Amino acid sequence: MPKKLQTQSSIALSQSTNDMKGAGVKILRKKYRDPQHLHPVVNTIISVLLGILAIMCIFPFFYVIIISFTSEESIVRNGFQLFPKDWSIDAYHYLWGMKAQFFRSYGVTIFITIVGTIISVFMITFYAYAISRPQFKYRRFFTFLAFFTMLFSGGLVPTYIVVTQFLGLKNTIWALILPLAMNAFYIIIMRTFFLKSVSESILESARIDGASEWRIFFQIIFPLSLPGIATIALFSTLGYWNDWFTALLYIDEPNLVPLQSLLMKIEANLEFMRQNMDVAIMQSSLFDTIPQESAKMAMVVIATLPIAVSYPFFQKYFISGLTIGGVKE
Amino acid sequence: MKKRLMLLLAFVLTIGTILSACSGKENATSNKEGKDGQPYEIKWYTIGTPQKDTAKVFEEVNKYLKEEINATVKMTQIDWGDWAQKSQVMINSGEPFDIIFTNGTEYVQNSQKGAFFAIDELLNKEGKELKEAIDPSLLEGIKIDGKIYGVPTNKEAARQTVYTFNKRLVDKYNFDISKVQSLEDLEPMLKVIKENEPSITPMATFKAYLPFDYVFNNEMPFAFAIDGDREHVINQFESDLAMQTYKTMHNYYKAGYLKEDAATSKDSWPMDVENWFVRMGDSQPYADALWSRAAKYEVVSVPAEEPTTFNDSVSGSIQAISATSKNPEKAMEFLNLLNTDPYLRNLVDKGIEGVHYEKNEDGTIKDLPARIERYNLPTYSLGNHFILNLYENDPKDKWEKFKEFNEAAKPAPTLGFHFNSDPVRSELASITNISKEFYPALATGSVDPEEYLPKYNKKLEEAGIDKVLKEIQKQFDEWKSKQK
Repeated sequence: MPKKLQTQSSIALSQSTNDMKGAGVKILRKKYRDPQHLHPVVNTIISVLLGILAIMCIFPFFYVIIISFTSEESIVRNGFQLFPKDWSIDAYHYLWGMKAQFFRSYGVTIFITIVGTIISVFMITFYAYAISRPQFKYRRFFTFLAFFTMLFSGGLVPTYIVVTQFLGLKNTIWALILPLAMNAFYIIIMRTFFLKSVSESILESARIDGASEWRIFFQIIFPLSLPGIATIALFSTLGYWNDWFTALLYIDEPNLVPLQSLLMKIEANLEFMRQNMDVAIMQSSLFDTIPQESAKMAMVVIATLPIAVSYPFFQKYFISGLTIGGVKE
Repeated sequence: MKKRLMLLLAFVLTIGTILSACSGKENATSNKEGKDGQPYEIKWYTIGTPQKDTAKVFEEVNKYLKEEINATVKMTQIDWGDWAQKSQVMINSGEPFDIIFTNGTEYVQNSQKGAFFAIDELLNKEGKELKEAIDPSLLEGIKIDGKIYGVPTNKEAARQTVYTFNKRLVDKYNFDISKVQSLEDLEPMLKVIKENEPSITPMATFKAYLPFDYVFNNEMPFAFAIDGDREHVINQFESDLAMQTYKTMHNYYKAGYLKEDAATSKDSWPMDVENWFVRMGDSQPYADALWSRAAKYEVVSVPAEEPTTFNDSVSGSIQAISATSKNPEKAMEFLNLLNTDPYLRNLVDKGIEGVHYEKNEDGTIKDLPARIERYNLPTYSLGNHFILNLYENDPKDKWEKFKEFNEAAKPAPTLGFHFNSDPVRSELASITNISKEFYPALATGSVDPEEYLPKYNKKLEEAGIDKVLKEIQKQFDEWKSKQK
C-alpha cells in the first residue's frame, strides 16, 4: 500500500513542478527566476566541489579493489600502487579455497542481522511506547532506568560475566543477538517520537471503539510511527552487520563467527605476526594459512560489495519511510 | 526524589542478591564434579587458530586420559590476534576454567594479581615427573616472589641474537661472515651490496642491538650489564656503547643501507621474499635450517652474542593453572602427563597417526596433508619439546643440541627477578611515551645520536628516571638478599 501511494504522489509532484516551470517561462520570461536555478559559475564550482568530495569517498574503495587484484610479490616489493606492475587474481583464488568458512560466516551475519533487527525493533518500541504513555504509573522510573545506563555502564568485565556465567550464552548465536538488542539511546528517541507523533486523542478513540492494547499498538501506533521505526531499524541493521566485538568476546566456535569478525581476526592475526616475528618464523607452517595483504583486500571487497550494491535499492524505502509520516499531521 | 532513590536502591540490592545467589549455587554444584568417580572435565584455553579436527583428536586424547587419570580435556583455541584481549577478559571476569596459556609480562602481571594458582606444592606431588623433566633454569626463571605459577614449555631456555645473511649473496661476493662480531664489521659487505644489487635492501629494517639484560624491554632505559657490573641497574642509553652503536647505525642510514622510513615502518620483512641481505633475529639450534625451509632459499647466521638465559626467554610459553580451577590437582596431573608422556604429547601436537602424520621405519615422522589443513597446532605453546617425534628432515641430534644450548647458556643478572612497578607507575608512563618517541629513530639510525641521545637522556631525567632506577635497585637488592 504505501509503495503505491508513494509512486502516485511522486508523479503528482513532478507534474506540478512541470506546470509551474511552463507557466513561469510563458508569463514572466525575463524577470522570473526559478528559485532552484543557480548561476552557471556557482553551479560549476559547487558541482566540482561535490564531485571532488564524491571521489574522495569512492576512491579508497576503488583503491581496495585495485590492491585486491595486485600480486602479493608486487605489494611486498613496491608497496601499494595505483597501477601495479603485476595483476593477479590469486587473492580471490585463495578466498575460494576457504569458501566453507566464508559462506558460513556470511550466513551467520545475515541471520543475526535479520533476526537481531526484528527482535531489537520490537523490544525497543515496546519499551519506548510503554514509557511514552501518561497512564503508565511507573514510566518515570523506567525512563530513568533506561537513561541511567546511558550515563553509567557496567563495563566490559561485568557485562562478560552476565552474558557468559548468568545467562550462559557463550558460544551460542544468541550471544551475538541479545547484547545488542536493547539500546537506551534508541529507546529515548522512540519515546520522544511516540510522544510527538501519536496524539492521545487517536488512542482514546480507538479505546472507545473497543480496541485492545495490542491492537492499538499494532494497528494504530505502528503504522503511524513507521518513520521512526524505520530509522532505528536501519541503525540496528548496520549495528548488527558491522559488529565484530561481541563475537570476539563470546564466540570460540569457528562456525558461529560472523563475517566482520572473520575479517578482524585476520587483521589481528597479521598484526600479531608482525609483533612476534620469532614465533611467526618458527611456526611458519601455521601462518601460511593466514592471507596476505591482497587477500585481505579481496575479503573487504566481498564483504562490502553486497551491502554497497543493495544499499541504493533499500535506501529508497528508508527515505520514503521517513517522509511518508513527515507530511501527515 | 527520595522515593526514586529508594526504588533504585531496592532494585540494585535485589539484583545484587540474585547475582550472588546464582554464583554461590554454581560453586556448590560444580565442586562435586570429578570427585564421585565421574571423570573431571579439564577446561583448557590455548593460543592459535581453531582447527577443524580438534574434536576428533581430543576424542582419542580423552579415551587415553580416562584410563590414565580419570579426566577428560576440553581444549579451546583462541585465535592469535584475539588472544590478548579475550584471555584478559576471561581472567578478570573470574570465569571458571583450569588451564590457560600465558607468557611474558602477561604471565608476571596475572601471577602478581593472583589470577594463577601457585603450583609449588603440586609440583612435588602430582607433577613430580614433570619437575624432573623440565630444565631447572626455566622453573627458576619464572618464579614470582619465590613461587611458581605455571609450567614452562621445555624448549630452548636461552636466547642468542644473531645476524642472519642471505646465503646466495654471501656466496656470490665471497664474503667471509665468520669474522663478523659487531655491527661495524658489516660495513664493507653492505657497501658492495648497495653498489651491485639495486633490487636488494642491504639491511632489513632492524633496531640496533645493545647487549644488556633489560628490566622491561629494549626500548625502556633500565638495564643490567651482562658482563661486568651485574649488580647495578643503569640507563643503557647513557653508555658509550649506545653512542657508538647508534653512530654506526646513523652512518649506515645515511649511506642508504636501510629503508628511509625505517623508524616508522611496520614492514615485517617476510622471509619468503628475497629482498634483503642481512637481518637480526633470535636464534635456537638449527635455526638456519628452519629459516631456510620457511624462506625456500638458503640463509646463514653468525651469533652476535653468547647464548644467555633471560626472563623473557624462559617465559615465552607457559601453561598456567587458573585460580578459578575447581580441581587443580587433576589439571596438574594432566600437565604432568602432557609433558612426560610421549604418546599424549605427540597426539596433542601432531594429531592421530595415519590420519595426520605417518611414521617412518626409523621412528621419524612425516606430515600428511590433513595435519597442515585440519590440525595445525603451534608446537611451541603446548609443552615439552624433547619428547616430540622428529621429522624426517630434522637432524637426528636436534633435541641433544637444544639441551647443550640450554646448558651452555649463562643466566642473565635478573633471571627470576620481576619488578613490581606499582610504586613508580606515573613515572613509567611518561618514560614509556618518551621512549616511544626517541628509541625507534635512534635505533634505526634515522637521527644523529650526537644530537638526539643527550636530548633523550635529558627528557628521561625530567620524567623522573632516577626515582625509577632507585626503586628497581631497591627491589633488586631485596630479591638478591633473599636468594642467598
